[in-house]
Amino acid sequence: MENSPHNNNLRNTLLLAQFEVKKMLFNPRGMIALAAFALVWLLILLYPVRGASEFLLTPSYKDLIEGIFGPQVVGELFKWSVAELAIYWIASLYLFPLFSIFIAADQFSSDKARGTFRFLTLRTSRDSIFFGRFIGYMIIQTMLVSLTVLATIVLAVSRETTLLIPALTSGLMVTVNLIIVLLPYTALMAILSLYANSARQATIYAILIWAAMSITIGIINNFLPIISELKWILPGSQISLMINTQGLASFAYAPVALLQTAVLLLLGRMYIKRSAL
Amino acid sequence: MRLIECKGLSKSYGSKQALKQVDLSLEAGEPIALVGPNGAGKTTLFSLLCGYITPTAGEVRILGHKPGDNALLGRVASLPQDASLDPNFDVLTQLVLFATLQGFSKADAKAEALRVLSLVDLADCASQKPKSLSHGMAKRVAIAQALIGSPELVLLDEPTAGLDPANAKKIRELVTELAGKTTFIISSHNLDELEKLCGQVLYLELGQLTQSVSMDDNQQDQYLTLTMQQCDPDKILAAVMALPDISSIEKKQHNEFLIKHNSEEAYAIESALFSLFKHNNWQYKAILRGRTLEDKLFS
Repeated sequence: MENSPHNNNLRNTLLLAQFEVKKMLFNPRGMIALAAFALVWLLILLYPVRGASEFLLTPSYKDLIEGIFGPQVVGELFKWSVAELAIYWIASLYLFPLFSIFIAADQFSSDKARGTFRFLTLRTSRDSIFFGRFIGYMIIQTMLVSLTVLATIVLAVSRETTLLIPALTSGLMVTVNLIIVLLPYTALMAILSLYANSARQATIYAILIWAAMSITIGIINNFLPIISELKWILPGSQISLMINTQGLASFAYAPVALLQTAVLLLLGRMYIKRSAL
Repeated sequence: MRLIECKGLSKSYGSKQALKQVDLSLEAGEPIALVGPNGAGKTTLFSLLCGYITPTAGEVRILGHKPGDNALLGRVASLPQDASLDPNFDVLTQLVLFATLQGFSKADAKAEALRVLSLVDLADCASQKPKSLSHGMAKRVAIAQALIGSPELVLLDEPTAGLDPANAKKIRELVTELAGKTTFIISSHNLDELEKLCGQVLYLELGQLTQSVSMDDNQQDQYLTLTMQQCDPDKILAAVMALPDISSIEKKQHNEFLIKHNSEEAYAIESALFSLFKHNNWQYKAILRGRTLEDKLFS
């Protein structure tokens, strides 16, 4: 084929997503990041998650935890059929968004600073670059979530083999819920890494945004409680409420994250179209 | 359809105006040179043509479309200044990705990547990572990527800067060879090189297009550029001026003279010069019909 007869946007988006996954899994820097991730999760799985059954199933511990946090806050935690997944749920709800900020910080920044995008923009649309990278990073995170959920299921089943079916059902719901939680984080990091010149800078912007917005929202809530709903614009605002949910009930908060993602992706798309690459 | 059409094209970076009201209309064909001092706006013009940046005012059309339009994908390519490949992947993997994005199937993309690498004599380096390449090799890889899929327009920003003479020559030959299918626009400070390659030269100065010179304009007939071996310039000046139909002779660089004449007869001046050299036993190095690009632009 001598010339390029067609440039299919969707095909190129998926190609770029696939390339991004390859970059993460097969280059030394990506592998070091994955090894660090695996070690952290190994520790979490070996200690709090493996010991979960003891904590959540022994009545004296249950009374103690309820006594400290209040039954409204942790009540649902005791209703999980697989105790390991209950502890995994709490840890992952807080840890994965944090990982997401670090993992997704280099969606665009290094390539932009290096000028690598100049080789791409004459071959494929900016839309496919933007969404391709975003999808690529979501695939990587989905793989990480799925692996840790699987490891938790293995732990639970090794304790009690009859837990296989409930563990698989719960595990699937946890996985989907976590992916939805990570969507707005990844979308916001896409915008920040487009603006920043390095992954580190993008991470610093992320910390500043979350800190500044949390403080601002806190102040607004205090003085103008009438617009307290403003808190929903910040990615992750639903996480503290999601902790005390399980199963299908957790999906009640999905619209918040999905809406945030849609808005952020729209903003990011507008930004990449206008920005100098 | 015109290859490139710019109307009132301006670009500002803050308070600095890099391009001012550039009007330009170029047809496909012979390579076109873009010349100008540092900071004249050459790279800005290239970046606008490639759609890397958007103009502050005015408009650009390439093959009838706005830069960055989906209709131009794969039809316009460039060797951008200060752009490097992803250090995480080897050269071949990245070139295969580029070709695949241009619509090639996986197998064809690999063949195409190897084809363009062999055009720049770098097929052996396909499995190397960009960081292990020298500056010159990295530049040749960047030129190779611009040739994937034989685009209609290729913009080369200083393609031979930093290349050794042999490879610079190879790139010039490549441009000449591909010029039938692809129109090249070349920005360079090497006027000798542009003179050999290009049919038209655009001169950009302080963000404005000040001259557009055609290599085969009629004025060529009135000039001869003479380069001598060792000589006494004063004697040459006097002897040539004494020949018939000579309007002026001017000493340019080392042993180089620009002769203006008004002879209507073909080769009359050249014959007279050869007789003069033979008579005085003077050794000449070259006689160029017309003026050098440098003289055309800066006199």
